[in-house]
Amino acid sequence: MKMKTNENLLVNVSVMGSVCQPNFQSLPAEPYRLDSNGNPFLLPSWGSVVHNVSVGDSAFGWEADCIHPGVSIKYSNETGNRGLNILSCVGNEAIIMSGDAKNAKGFVTGKSGRFSEQVIVHFPKKIREKISINDKILIKSIGVGLKISDFENVFCKSLSPKLFNKMNVKISKNKMNIPVAHIIPEHLIGAGSGLTSESGSLHIQTADNSEMKKHKLNNIKLGDIIYIENYDSSYQHGFLRNAWAVGIIGQTNGPRAGYGPGITILMSSKINNAKPKIETKANIVNYISFIK
Amino acid sequence: MVIKLQYTFLLKVTLNQHQSDNFVICNLKQTSYFNIMNSTIKTNEGKLIKMSIGGYVTQPSFKNPGYIPDNDGKSVIYPGMFGVVNNVKVGDKAFGWAGDHIEPGVSIDSEKINEHFALHYLVCTGNKAIVRSGDAKGKVGIVTGEHARNLIHFDQKTLDKICIGDQVDIITHGRGLKLIDFPEIEIKKIDPNLLKAMNIKVIKGKLIIDVAIELPIRIMGSGAELNSEYVDQDLMSGDRQLMKKLKIDEMKLGDLIVINHADHRWGRSFKKDYVSIAICIHGDSVMTGHGPGIMTIMTGKKQYLGWSISRDANLKKILKIKK
Repeated sequence: MKMKTNENLLVNVSVMGSVCQPNFQSLPAEPYRLDSNGNPFLLPSWGSVVHNVSVGDSAFGWEADCIHPGVSIKYSNETGNRGLNILSCVGNEAIIMSGDAKNAKGFVTGKSGRFSEQVIVHFPKKIREKISINDKILIKSIGVGLKISDFENVFCKSLSPKLFNKMNVKISKNKMNIPVAHIIPEHLIGAGSGLTSESGSLHIQTADNSEMKKHKLNNIKLGDIIYIENYDSSYQHGFLRNAWAVGIIGQTNGPRAGYGPGITILMSSKINNAKPKIETKANIVNYISFIK
Repeated sequence: MVIKLQYTFLLKVTLNQHQSDNFVICNLKQTSYFNIMNSTIKTNEGKLIKMSIGGYVTQPSFKNPGYIPDNDGKSVIYPGMFGVVNNVKVGDKAFGWAGDHIEPGVSIDSEKINEHFALHYLVCTGNKAIVRSGDAKGKVGIVTGEHARNLIHFDQKTLDKICIGDQVDIITHGRGLKLIDFPEIEIKKIDPNLLKAMNIKVIKGKLIIDVAIELPIRIMGSGAELNSEYVDQDLMSGDRQLMKKLKIDEMKLGDLIVINHADHRWGRSFKKDYVSIAICIHGDSVMTGHGPGIMTIMTGKKQYLGWSISRDANLKKILKIKK
């Protein structure tokens, strides 16, 4: 049975961000971060225009620490940036409003969390070199307030109706059947727990490779839709038996303890009213019109 | 990525003894010692991130009253750092200018401190630079090194159009670059294309890099206080007679150089049997403890990393930079 939503009642609001710069700490702090074994490393991290990584690519194997695919944007003051981060929804249309790539269109693919607070947007690779640092990007935000008929206790967040309608969610035996690429057990959730679920990211932990293999998590791709067991992201992120959360892989793996691939949460419920269905094609590149 | 290597055929050649005992080819008196390992060097280029970062053309700046002390304590005043240097370019001499710490070409930076550090930690020599604002908008240059700011070469026509404050974006590429078959050698801040263009040989399991000049470790000065991912280290040019004797005063901006017994992995320190390869990035200085600056591009143990002297080992030639 097809899902019904309150899509027609949602408000479409423009929010703006600018292409942001990479940032590193100042001296005398050393530039190195520590990997999960305590070894120092210095690699590109969040922010900016990333020219050679896109949704659909592997989340593993890059010489990088939680890289955002495509373009990352931020608003110049903190409250305005909260507006950008809360209202932007995965699947929303993004338009470049200044610079050589003006009028190019893309879509939101994720968000980043504490310490960076950026919105991640996909644009085709071939136009990325035309995008300049500081270029303005407008998001036609719609999705906050989304409710699913007969599932009022499912909290939708950062989820555009456009993406939800393409996710092939169906009702079966009073439960939402949700196609996902991977199922993540709650004990492999790391950074992000305890923080807000209205924006920001929650990270899979990847330091224990045997657990990664056991749960077949080594082939996660950017843009994959995933399901987290026993996890409640209704208001903030935290453990709760029988709760569940569904999200999208927004950023790559990283070497730090607790910082594997990042997840932007799309839906969550405190009760056992959903069932994941493993479907390898459950990735945003198969749901939204996509030019690599 | 695969680097095409030049084969070397140096059979039973008696080579001139170089000033260092680490000149690997000097030891190869018997042909049986020769062992050209393979014709390719594998890297992890496919796993590296290409990421944009923006900087702004800087304004020459002085602290009041602008004088600096030379080696004899005399107060002098010179241009050199910051800004657009219109008439000194990579490939030109490093010594002899009426300037101090001359940064060839265009120096860019960000006044936001965390962006300043990101510029230093992500930008690699050989990276592409694109002017984003002003009359030179759209013009493309190439990163030629890192001093207190990032240094970019543009052709003369472009230089004439660049204004202080113009935004220049760098497509950074190279951070995390590794040599798959030489995990003991650390690569720092070079574009994979620069690595491919350099003259590198593998002899008897050891990587041999063409460099223009060897610098003795005891003349390495200012910069030892910094981590080796940041800025550069100056050679101390105060002993002018030694500079002449070792022909260091013939050094050019963009020269590849080597320092024997220098470990630049986590800082810049003396360590026996470590070797560091670097690029000369700025001109000479009159100040004690200072001189032309070098930025590290490779460092590792002597058993894996060696060098061969070639006066042509300069960025201008390697990157085919045109004036």
